[in-house]
Amino acid sequence: MKRFFYFRLALQNILNNKKSYIPYILTVIGTVLMYYSFQCMADNPGIQDLRGGTVVSMIMGFGTFVVGLFAVIFLFYTNSFLIKQRKKEFALFNILGMEKRHLGRVLLWETLFVAIIGLAAGFCGGLLLTKLMYLFLLRLMDFPVQLGFYVSWSAFGSCVVLFGLIFLFTWLNALCQIHLASPVQLLQQQKAGEKEPRTKLLMTTLGVFCLGAGYYISLTTESPITALTLFFVAVILVIIGTYLVFTSGSIAWLKFLRSRKHYYYKTHHFISVSGMLYRMKQNAVGLANICILSTMVLVMLSATVALYAGSENMIHSQYPRELMVYAEQTTEDRADAYEERVSQYLQENGLAAQDVISYREMGGVMVREGNNLRGPVGAQDMLVSVEAHFMRLEDFRQMTDEALVQTLGTDQVYLLYRGKDIPGDTLGVSGLSFQIEDRMTFEEAGVDPAVLTDSYNVADVYVILVKDDGVLGQIKTAVDREIGVEDSIFYGCDPASDQLRYVYGFDLGDEAQVKEVQSQMANLLAEAGIPQGGIENRYDNMASYYEMNGGLLFLGIFLALLFGMAAVLIMYYKQISEGYDDRERYQIMQRVGLSRREVRASIRSQVLSVFYLPLVTAVIHVAFAFPIIVRLIALFNLNDVGLFLLTTVVTVLAFGLLYAIVYAMTARVYYRIVSE
Amino acid sequence: MALLEVSHLKKIYTTRLGGAKIQALKDVSFSVEAGEYVAIMGESGSGKTTLLNILAALDKPTVGEVLLEGRSLVALKEREISAFRRDNLGFVFQDFNLLDNFSVQDNIFLPLVLAGKSYEEMVKQITPLAHRLGIADILKKYPYEISGGQKQRTAAARALITAPRLLLADEPTGALDSRASEELLSLFADINRDGQTILMVTHSIAAASHAGRVLFIKDGQVFHQLYRASLRREEMYQRISDTLTTIATSSERRQS
Repeated sequence: MKRFFYFRLALQNILNNKKSYIPYILTVIGTVLMYYSFQCMADNPGIQDLRGGTVVSMIMGFGTFVVGLFAVIFLFYTNSFLIKQRKKEFALFNILGMEKRHLGRVLLWETLFVAIIGLAAGFCGGLLLTKLMYLFLLRLMDFPVQLGFYVSWSAFGSCVVLFGLIFLFTWLNALCQIHLASPVQLLQQQKAGEKEPRTKLLMTTLGVFCLGAGYYISLTTESPITALTLFFVAVILVIIGTYLVFTSGSIAWLKFLRSRKHYYYKTHHFISVSGMLYRMKQNAVGLANICILSTMVLVMLSATVALYAGSENMIHSQYPRELMVYAEQTTEDRADAYEERVSQYLQENGLAAQDVISYREMGGVMVREGNNLRGPVGAQDMLVSVEAHFMRLEDFRQMTDEALVQTLGTDQVYLLYRGKDIPGDTLGVSGLSFQIEDRMTFEEAGVDPAVLTDSYNVADVYVILVKDDGVLGQIKTAVDREIGVEDSIFYGCDPASDQLRYVYGFDLGDEAQVKEVQSQMANLLAEAGIPQGGIENRYDNMASYYEMNGGLLFLGIFLALLFGMAAVLIMYYKQISEGYDDRERYQIMQRVGLSRREVRASIRSQVLSVFYLPLVTAVIHVAFAFPIIVRLIALFNLNDVGLFLLTTVVTVLAFGLLYAIVYAMTARVYYRIVSE
Repeated sequence: MALLEVSHLKKIYTTRLGGAKIQALKDVSFSVEAGEYVAIMGESGSGKTTLLNILAALDKPTVGEVLLEGRSLVALKEREISAFRRDNLGFVFQDFNLLDNFSVQDNIFLPLVLAGKSYEEMVKQITPLAHRLGIADILKKYPYEISGGQKQRTAAARALITAPRLLLADEPTGALDSRASEELLSLFADINRDGQTILMVTHSIAAASHAGRVLFIKDGQVFHQLYRASLRREEMYQRISDTLTTIATSSERRQS
């Protein structure tokens, strides 16, 4: 019977405080929903099937961690302000004869009540949302997505544990607050208002340092593989930095504004700066949350849209022509014989090869140290590898219209490179030394890098043009001596007998014909005496490319929607709770002679800065994150910086527009509350 | 011409539910000359607050006219009201109505900032006023750091800094202890002696005894008025007290 009493009292309390409890419960529901949906996506087995599945699931796991952290900070803060608002009520109960431990029990019931409603509604919402979003996106994007709809029980589990802990701590926090104060103190505290926050120099410095360090990592990391590991470090640094700078830096900034008398003593600056300063401690965390969520939305959308839009580009870089033949142990005679047979076959069938590419080379993965290239030894070397191609000058001359040097000596080379240039005039190759006669980038040579390179667009590429087969032979011997013949990076090449790697490709312009011709190519290879070779067509891989990049895009949009929703929720919550807080202040000011028009103007000024601060910061974050994300998407074989820049700019603009709409809506709600 | 002319004010509220009509003011007429110190007394529900709200242009009468220096408050357009209030009226409220997020100085500056004055001008105006009101040392403090008396003097400074035609005070001593009340009242007497017109609503006899004239309101009309003339404070106190007793007993007699 007694228990029943506490339960009813708790319920009654929540109903009585519904003005502040409804937004709080909505926040709980929103956070649970978000955490569940995120976990659910992270657990989704379909993720592993995506291109770069390990990278994606790593990012998702990390994202779950961030969402969890976000949930802890956000709920704890909203709850502590709720408790603060209710101190007077607690004091009254206390004075009316309720002991503090009884109050604790009432609070426990209240917490349980909120927890149960929040978790239940959050789960239902999460289930519904993931399902709806899945169907919606599937319909919208019009491609088969591998990520199936999926109910994650482990996500349920971790949700219950995480939020259980959060609620336990909010309850303990409330208990502490009640136990530490006498009823009279409790009564007065609410009236005392928030004291003006102090400028915290140490925190500001630390925050700026964290931000700087995060930005520095992004700007200086060059290798995509290290970028992957350092990316998370940078993200954590930037998140910490954002919280610190928003909480302490914003106060310093507002105080600076206040000290500028001619700026401060203008009607709407006066009201908005003082208003923001007054509540900055509470404001700052919300603003930092909005900023981080906005950054995530922007990064995920721009990157996945770029990947999707860049599918064509990726396919092209992997298949520069519709039909590609890669063969080993190919002499010049065999290559000529083969090409003759192919063109004969095409002619018989009324077809013509367009944009033919054909060259022979000796290529592999090497390590560059200064101006030396050496063979890779062990796994560690593979992380810092470059792509090296050795070709005869005369073979290369057929591929470009540019005038190259006429002749090369046996110790001279001509260098073509993508990425970083080799310093100095000499080039060492596994102990051999060559004079670099001249050098050029692919662009300068007018050669499509896709034709010559075969690694993903990750590593630097060097094409080294030499005099003749003799020099190629020397190089192979030297490199093989270094790493052992059985591990040779020049597999299937033997310059001594003119056997090199052979690349041949052309366009036909029709998928069916390409496939038809492909089926004949193996026979023709054998007829020409080429022992083995791979024959691939672009179309077989196109579908899977689109499917997988589409999967990533789906994931990106899904998460962006999720984070975007969270950001909107926070904005809305902020506006409502602050509206009620500010109402009295605006009433007083109206009595002193503030007109309705001025009220609206000063609200606009205040809400505007509160709203656009996170957006502006998010855009700065995105700008600094740009270089490291360029490296990361290079792991996905996209090397089109221009395209990524375009998608980033478009995403930022679209997001900014959406943001402005949400701003207009919440500003109206705020105004209505304040002017009631 | 009188500074403030109130003629035949009538105010009828219609309750939101049911549409029952409540008459707050029946027929109030009086005038205030420039430099006068007038107290309005009356019991709760007598219509004092309604009257003050109308005088402050916060509310409009159902019938009647209020003229401040010949200008009608009733006819003011919505857009002009705020500026009019800012330029011509000063307010002191029972619960101070200071803003916690402003320092004492900024609270006092508020009406000037709203009026678009420059910072230098504001500083020039606040310095003598702060000395006069004895709050020069606490200008940098915040409302939650100062005492009730200091708060009310801050509020008075805020009301006076625009040099209003009329200072309206609503139970200014209601939330103060007796010492702080006495200080504030002698302050009001001082500034009145310097020519400031004051209209104060109160039900404290002590407060009213400082005024040059006391209007008694009962059941929505002016019931009686007392002039101080050359009376000492103690005598004035006695007169007011007697009048209130008369009012109270007369209504009792009528009831019985």
